[in-house]
Amino acid sequence: MPHILIVGAGQSGLQLGLNLLAAGMDVTIMSARTPEEIRGGSPTSTQCMFQPALQIERDLGLNFWEEQCPKLTAQRYNLGLPPDGYPDARQTTGEAAPPWLRTEVTPFTRAIRFTGPWEHYTQSVDQRIKMSSWLAEFENRGGTVIYQGVMTSDLDSLTALGRYDLTIVAAGKGELVGLFDRDASRSPYDRPQRALSCIYTRGMTFDPEYQDWAVSFANIAGVGEFFNMPGLTVDGDGMQPCNILLFAGFPEGPLGFHAWRERLSPTEHLDRIVRAMREYVPWEADLAGDIEITDPRPSLIGGYTPTVRHPIGHLPSGGLVLGMGDVVVANDPITGQGANNAAHSAHIYARHIIDNADGRYDEAWMQATFDDYWNYAKHPTVFTNAMLGQEPPEHVGRILAAAQAGHEAGKPVIAARIAYGYTTPSDLGWMLDPDEANKYLAEVAPEFATPAPANP
Amino acid sequence: MATPRTHPKVRPYVLTGGRTVTRHRLLVHTLVTVPYYDPGLAAAMLPEARTLYEQARDGCSVAELSALSGLSLGVTRVIVSDLAAAQRVRVHAETYGSPFDRRLLERVRDGLRALA
Amino acid sequence: MVSAHSPEHSTTTAKIVVAGGFGAGKTTLVSAISEIPPINTEAWMTTAGTLDDPLEPDSDKSTTTVAMDFGRRTLADDLVLYLFGTPGQQRFWPMWDDLCRGASGALVLVDTRHLDRSFAAVNYFENDSTVPFVVGVNMFHGEQTHRLDAVRQALSLHESVPLCAFDARDRAQVAGALVGVVEHSMARTARPAPPRPMAPALR
Ligand SMILES: Cc1cc2nc3c(=O)[nH]c(=O)nc-3n(C[C@H](O)[C@H](O)[C@H](O)COP(=O)(O)OP(=O)(O)OC[C@H]3O[C@@H](n4cnc5c(N)ncnc54)[C@H](O)[C@@H]3O)c2cc1C
Ligand SMILES: Nc1nc2c(ncn2[C@@H]2O[C@H](COP(=O)(O)OP(=O)(O)OP(=O)(O)O)[C@@H](O)[C@H]2O)c(=O)[nH]1
Ligand SMILES: [Mg+2]
Repeated sequence: MPHILIVGAGQSGLQLGLNLLAAGMDVTIMSARTPEEIRGGSPTSTQCMFQPALQIERDLGLNFWEEQCPKLTAQRYNLGLPPDGYPDARQTTGEAAPPWLRTEVTPFTRAIRFTGPWEHYTQSVDQRIKMSSWLAEFENRGGTVIYQGVMTSDLDSLTALGRYDLTIVAAGKGELVGLFDRDASRSPYDRPQRALSCIYTRGMTFDPEYQDWAVSFANIAGVGEFFNMPGLTVDGDGMQPCNILLFAGFPEGPLGFHAWRERLSPTEHLDRIVRAMREYVPWEADLAGDIEITDPRPSLIGGYTPTVRHPIGHLPSGGLVLGMGDVVVANDPITGQGANNAAHSAHIYARHIIDNADGRYDEAWMQATFDDYWNYAKHPTVFTNAMLGQEPPEHVGRILAAAQAGHEAGKPVIAARIAYGYTTPSDLGWMLDPDEANKYLAEVAPEFATPAPANP
Repeated sequence: MATPRTHPKVRPYVLTGGRTVTRHRLLVHTLVTVPYYDPGLAAAMLPEARTLYEQARDGCSVAELSALSGLSLGVTRVIVSDLAAAQRVRVHAETYGSPFDRRLLERVRDGLRALA
Repeated sequence: MVSAHSPEHSTTTAKIVVAGGFGAGKTTLVSAISEIPPINTEAWMTTAGTLDDPLEPDSDKSTTTVAMDFGRRTLADDLVLYLFGTPGQQRFWPMWDDLCRGASGALVLVDTRHLDRSFAAVNYFENDSTVPFVVGVNMFHGEQTHRLDAVRQALSLHESVPLCAFDARDRAQVAGALVGVVEHSMARTARPAPPRPMAPALR
């Protein structure tokens, strides 16, 4: 049986490690952090995972928290507009001031809202819980763990040593990605597109209209996006349900990077998040009367450039390593695809590794393995990058209006199709292309669709 | 660019003995010793493993092993963990459960005071 | 070497981390107290070029070397203290975590002429590490150029973090500073609830 080395103990690295271990392989994981450090540290994601990825975990017997974790049955869409309508993008120059630096604060209004039900639920288990437990589980099941902050120099000598037949780099967005060339043809952006500001809270109430767990999402015109994702997080030594709140701000907008530059204590951070909610998503702020932070390190602030990389890293001594997960395909979080992608990549890689157990893990095999994954990952990547524009294209505006009309008529077909698309991005072609969108709207829901404007 | 050096059929890196889980974490200052030096085994080892095995005879920390053998920390840890699994080296558990154990801190403080 | 010829013989090891910005005096401090010449090890990282001209093919890779040094001091027959100097660049945080894991305390060195160079190290111990730390002003000219409370303010250092000054070349002064580190760890770990960490940056 081959010896496999995996660098990075996140969603993709641990899932692959546990998968290969179950197949009887000799697997070593190098983790920069111990389970205690992961659990006691800051959150790393909002990690909403949809049915197909959750099913991969179930099939591997890794769904340890399925019953405790809130089951999210729908995706709620909202569009927030300033009182005077859609802002003119051309007028925004420079850095807009965040709510806490202004005397005048006008709450936005909800211009569009609809709910897309999911046939199968979505869940978000805090990666601090999941990765710390999976890492301990990996060790208990006989895997070898080495706690090591891996440098390129380590990879160079480790691959030269000949101890492992294959080395996979699953180190997320860390510095090790420097070993993998950016694929410019698949990476349209050269800088972070959203300023992320995320906090874990408890005490948020249900929307009185729905009374169930759901992902709530808002496009906020001229500002960015807001997410409220119920999940399961740490509670001292135990666990608790929570609401994970995330603002994704346009870089120059009022919630851009400049808004979060100060070093804030967790309670100061929560205070600012709530103030931003009062202005931009007041319908969410209404549910947040009594919220508090869940733990001493409840926040995550930052941003990164969505990037696709070439999958093979060449070390100076001749060794080769194969990238996986965010290392090779890092999408912006606004579509909630990254952890799902990581699960799919580990799943696909595991199949290729096991199928090739008697062969060589050479460069051609590495490329073919990644290419197989890219056949999946290209869909969420194209979708996510399309969503990073700051104003929805005209046809998307019509899709949203039609989805709302259907929702109001009690027939949420369009909303459900959108929600399904998040779980299965290969289905989203109809939404990304104006002609396809028109065709679909005309077919399934002519009564809800406003006609497309005549071509000029 | 050279070709990768491994081939599944010809495994250059073989260690004797069954694998047992090493529970002690290999921190940079963790002490490694050789409980019983076996020259025959040393001669049969890969150069990297042999270097470490011999270096550890005197007893030293993981970081010293790495520096004195000229091997990266990553390689050092992999080989030490293999050698430990085969019970060829001993990875010393921390004497006290925590680096903040009062007895440990008091001893370090007193030792440093003597130098101050 | 640590004498450990008999497997029964058990030596206790402890570790203190010495951090601080570029040129703050880490290596000097480790040499002052170590009984062996500080061992300098290097690791390197391939770094992607800056994305100033990002749509160009990625030819501009470079290699960044990080150096860490460590020294050793035998404090008793069966007690050895290791000192680890962290590499200056904070962005290689996995390496910092690795060096700090299991440390009994940390000393963050600052050079008052270049306080900014030590910001990353202070941030790391404030936000990303549970190792108690003390900030030490290295008096490059044998004298303090800044009052300590001015340094505290410039670093926006919490009042619970001790601040001291010493000459990194002087063994006795360094030992005294390390006593302070250990005492701070004793105090910090004896009572609960250190100051709340700040919101961390995305890694
Ligand atoms: C704010 C935010 C919100 C998000 N929300 C969602 C969401 O709702 N849904 C979704 O699907 N995705 C989401 N994502 C993305 C998702 O979290 C990631 O895509 C996913 O975790 C990637 O998994 P991975 O295994 O590739 O890497 P990671 O999960 O990042 O794991 C990498 C691991 O490698 C370790 N490591 C790094 N460097 C080294 C080194 N040198 N040596 C050793 N170990 C190292 C790290 O410590 C880490 O444990 C979000 C991301 C962010 C930032
Ligand atoms: N006069 C004086 N010079 C010092 C003192 N401490 C360090 N130096 C000098 O300052 C320079 C930098 O000191 P180092 O100890 O190499 O600093 P470092 O933190 O290890 O530096 P890097 O590893 O490069 O980040 C050297 O030339 C030292 O000789 C001091 O207390 N007084
Ligand atoms: Mg130095």
